[in-house]
Amino acid sequence: MSAASSQVAWLYERALRLYPRPFQDRYAEPMSRALRDALADRSLPRPKFFRVLLRDFFTSLVKEHFAMLRETYSRPALIFNALVLAGISTVLALALYVIPQQVLRTGADDPQIQLATDAAARIENGAVPPEVAKGNVDITRSLAPFVIVYNDRGQVLASTAQFHGQTPAPPAGIFDYVRTHGEERVTWQPERGVRIASVIERVNGSHAGFVLAGRSLREVQARIDHVQNLAGLTWLGMLGMILLGSLAFGWMTRRKTVATAV
Amino acid sequence: MGMVDPPHGPLTPSVFAILLALAEGDKHGYAIMKEARTPQGGGVEMGPGTLYGTLDRLMRDGLVEETGVTDDERRRYYRLKGRGRAVIAAELERLRNALEQGRALGLLAHGGRS
Repeated sequence: MSAASSQVAWLYERALRLYPRPFQDRYAEPMSRALRDALADRSLPRPKFFRVLLRDFFTSLVKEHFAMLRETYSRPALIFNALVLAGISTVLALALYVIPQQVLRTGADDPQIQLATDAAARIENGAVPPEVAKGNVDITRSLAPFVIVYNDRGQVLASTAQFHGQTPAPPAGIFDYVRTHGEERVTWQPERGVRIASVIERVNGSHAGFVLAGRSLREVQARIDHVQNLAGLTWLGMLGMILLGSLAFGWMTRRKTVATAV
Repeated sequence: MGMVDPPHGPLTPSVFAILLALAEGDKHGYAIMKEARTPQGGGVEMGPGTLYGTLDRLMRDGLVEETGVTDDERRRYYRLKGRGRAVIAAELERLRNALEQGRALGLLAHGGRS
């Protein structure tokens, strides 16, 4: 073998170390032997063979690494375990979001419940609407609770709420529901970015009507958004840990002899 | 990589050339590469990486086996198993049918080697 061929063989033998270890262990020696046989074959056109050798080296290198990864990580048990853990993590993350979200949202009604029931009781005991609804709350800016008193036909008698200079209108049909059920709790949005948590109480007696107590959900919504971000980050963190754990476990329990792709 | 069943095809050029080369008799790595390069062997240019990657898969699928014999140059020899012979026979049959269709369509001259 010429000096140039010896150098090619020497270089090829070192390059074989780039193949996955199990493949190297099995085939580095016969591959090297086959190359030496090819280099010793005088009938083989050199430039063409070197082109084939170079292309073959890189394509088979990529194939063998992909084959090793596929063999290592495409085991049904490994994928099944990872999917089950991902499913559990998703349920936990959802619970981590839904439970605090519900607690925050339902808790946001507490001041309005107290205001509405107190105001309804006062009117039933003879108080006039302007006494019950005193003050001025700009619902687009203020977080303070407000009160609106309606007569039995749903017309405004007194209001502390201001929405662009007017009393905000609650969702249609709400009074019919309260007339039969006594109370309703509803979230409504007079305009984009303004969400109101409101409680509507029925006023009985000689001054029959309705009392609506509401307040902006802006701060509560910010807390819910924060909880959502934390739950989302927790979910991504858990998925990341499952991925890393599955990769590590797959690698530790891989077959020592790896089959190859064609 | 899945198993290659005799009724299914087509085979990749490397698999086809290796099985065809080994159908002639037991061969070592470079002898397979050399046979595969010839027109009658499939005309497939392959290097050692493709050869041994493919042989590994074929051995796993039970189409080829190592003979266990090494010569004085420490070359390993490979032989076709019964299942490998059935696979290459099925592939040749598939190609023969395609060839006949090609002739019937006038794409190939009649009266060639058969």
